[in-house]
Amino acid sequence: MWTETWLFTKRSMLTTIRNPFSFIPNLIISVFFLLVYTSGLSSVASLPQFEGSAYLNFILPVSIVSGAVGGAGGTGQALVRDIESGYFARLLLTPATRTAIVLGPMIAGMLQLLVQTLLIFAVAFLLGLSIPVGLPGFLFTVLLAIGFGLGFAGYSVGVALKTRNAQAAQAGTLLFFPLIFLSTTFVPKELIEAEWLKVAATFNPTTYIFEGMRAVLTQPTIDWGALSAGLAVAGALSVVMIVFAATNARGALKQK
Amino acid sequence: MIEAESLVKTYENVPAVDGVSFTVKEGEVFAFLGPNGAGKSTTVQMLTTLVRPTAGGARVNNFDVVKQEKDVRLSIGVALQETGIDKDLTGRELLVLQGRLFKMTKQEAEARAEELLRVVSLTDAADRRSGTYSGGMRRRLDLALTLVHRPTVLFLDEPTTGLDPASRIEIWNEVRRLNEQFGTTIFLTTQYLEEADELADRIAIINHGKIVSEGTAEELKRLVGGETIAMTFHTEQEASDAAMAFGKTASGLHVSFELDALTLTDVVRRLDERMLQPERLTVKQPSLDDVFLKVTGESYEGGMPNVD
Repeated sequence: MWTETWLFTKRSMLTTIRNPFSFIPNLIISVFFLLVYTSGLSSVASLPQFEGSAYLNFILPVSIVSGAVGGAGGTGQALVRDIESGYFARLLLTPATRTAIVLGPMIAGMLQLLVQTLLIFAVAFLLGLSIPVGLPGFLFTVLLAIGFGLGFAGYSVGVALKTRNAQAAQAGTLLFFPLIFLSTTFVPKELIEAEWLKVAATFNPTTYIFEGMRAVLTQPTIDWGALSAGLAVAGALSVVMIVFAATNARGALKQK
Repeated sequence: MIEAESLVKTYENVPAVDGVSFTVKEGEVFAFLGPNGAGKSTTVQMLTTLVRPTAGGARVNNFDVVKQEKDVRLSIGVALQETGIDKDLTGRELLVLQGRLFKMTKQEAEARAEELLRVVSLTDAADRRSGTYSGGMRRRLDLALTLVHRPTVLFLDEPTTGLDPASRIEIWNEVRRLNEQFGTTIFLTTQYLEEADELADRIAIINHGKIVSEGTAEELKRLVGGETIAMTFHTEQEASDAAMAFGKTASGLHVSFELDALTLTDVVRRLDERMLQPERLTVKQPSLDDVFLKVTGESYEGGMPNVD
């Protein structure tokens, strides 16, 4: 199965690279977010709840996660294209397992997010980012980003297989955008005023990704509790979404 | 090689395939002939593990299509009605990937790709993205993809629908070659009576999800009666004399009847004995169109399309 998964991953990466417009706009938007948030909101970081960390460190996860959500949508759309071209049916007719067929594009999507995350980091460093805990802070943030990305790519693939419709696949990922903002997106939890938003933030898995990244980006020492919670959420999300995608692979033939 | 037993597939309580049973022997070319929406593609999807039957079952190469999906897939080649090609990859990349997915090593897959590109005359276009190929080239690439793992049973779902006449004949020749040279068992579906007549050893006519008739083209044609002879004479007198010789009646200058037990030689000899010479004499074979009309009570509208 691993050979097959690798073959499918390679193929999806080739397809992505040959369609640069499938990932460039999203990358630009993520960087744009980062620039706008830091320029427009950075003075809030002087509030005591930020405990002296720079706003750039605080907002960087938002740029990375929203980039991941946008990028993962592309993975589902690539799959819809396969269903429409009939290539997906051809793949279903090979001895490859369903899981490998859906895992390939998901991993390719994840790798795309890895590259994207590295580029966002590069821009952040140009903007003067410094991570108090150093290299581990960078590595754990990237790990959280690709874990969340894999889960989200799985969600997008699952929706694509279920609906077999490019618009629906796109809409399915757009639904997740509010989730980014129903969270400790712009300010720490203590600064959220509306009670309902606090509740939403508590149940929102995205919060734990943000908190996990901030645990290694904003503090002088790593907050292992928040980091492990973030990693656990990312891992669980990935597993659930791989299962969701694989169970929908059966019978995902083009509808006439 | 293929045994289908009361296959049923129902979509939202509407049967697409309604209890279809048949057997295809090793090395045979078997055609499923029927108009659009008759249930041909759904049958192919069930036999090739893409869709699970609602009821009934089937075995392909002695593997159960539900319980031994993977074994079935390893041993069959399938070209669906719509070509299954990723337009962002080149012909060669698609063939190599296909080979690798069928457990070949990289070297084997590359050699096989090269070989098949030659067979379907795509060597020159091998390294271009398949999105740039013409319809006929795509269909040939699709067929090559189907053959990568040397399947013993081949499923071709409407292999020539939408092709121009020249490409259609190319595909026909390829199908014959595969069958004769490698003994590949072929199950094909078609809307074209000519295609079934041309390629198939045995034909099943399917309409509204049911097989309405099955047999060789000859057997099916015999269902609507044998050959018909039609003669035209110079005078009405000659015509009525000739008709009398066969116990028939003439209509004006024309005499026509079914040959039945008579042979053409018998007819000619009997006319000679009476010194009768027809101006024109034709023998008409019954066509599959006639068969379709006879067994379904509906006239056949598939027919060869006019392709510009």
